[in-house]
Amino acid sequence: MRKTVRELQKEQTKELLLQTAYEVFSKKGIMNTRVSDIAQAAGVSHGTIFVHFSSLEAMIEEVVALYGQKIAMRTHALAQSSGSLSDLLRAHLCGIMEFEPFYTHLVIENRLLPPGARDSWISIQSAVSFHFSLVYEREFGHNDRPGIPLHMLFNMWMGLVHYYLQNGDLFAPEGNVIGRYQDILIDSYLKLLKGGMTEK
Amino acid sequence: MKTCIACGMPMTKPADYPLGDESKDYCIYCARPDGSMQSYPEKLEGTTDFLIRTQGLDRQAAHAAAIRTLAKLPAWQKIQKGSDTKSSD
Ligand SMILES: [Zn+2]
Repeated sequence: MRKTVRELQKEQTKELLLQTAYEVFSKKGIMNTRVSDIAQAAGVSHGTIFVHFSSLEAMIEEVVALYGQKIAMRTHALAQSSGSLSDLLRAHLCGIMEFEPFYTHLVIENRLLPPGARDSWISIQSAVSFHFSLVYEREFGHNDRPGIPLHMLFNMWMGLVHYYLQNGDLFAPEGNVIGRYQDILIDSYLKLLKGGMTEK
Repeated sequence: MKTCIACGMPMTKPADYPLGDESKDYCIYCARPDGSMQSYPEKLEGTTDFLIRTQGLDRQAAHAAAIRTLAKLPAWQKIQKGSDTKSSD
């Protein structure tokens, strides 16, 4: 069925609002943003926003779902060609770096967000843990060779990366945590892992 | 590019498809060994186990998250929460 000009305009406005909300969330934080901030940045009236979204909560859920999916897809694409754990960790950080200000707010705020956004958060992590498990099985086999369960290794890496992002104002006030720390994060994590294995 | 109707994974190469069959709408991880698509109960259990195994989630939390995530995918949109409906092969 062909879309009318009116329908096309409506879609374009919605896309503009999603994109603008993403930009405002990246700058101000998600919970800190008011509907009027997004309306102003997009150059539309307050009422226009509610033509497209039933509430600010609904808007947050849609923006997080859309950009969460973009982050997951990008991570997936970058991780496809990862031969080693080191390649995969770099691909993971690369994927985050492209969305760093927004992702950082997700790290800090995701437990306070509407339930749908929490699910999007799990989906982003699943895109990473999926590739992490493939590389883990390839490098260590199914016999838990490092003596550490897969999920603990995954969570140790996540904990490290998210700690740096969460406290980005202290580690990289200029706002480029991943770019500045990616090498030392990957190196240190891998050395710990290898050290643990030779001690066994 | 297609994304799997049963788990949402992007399918970009023949190896992503069950038995390499690119005419399928579901991915290799949503297929049984014979290439047919897993049923909802099978996929729900698989997704729950995946979250526990790779991310260490609590079983109940993982189960609840899996139900909500699958509900958004085209293959399972008609499945009622808690229903045991099997998909046809
Ligand atoms: Zn699938």
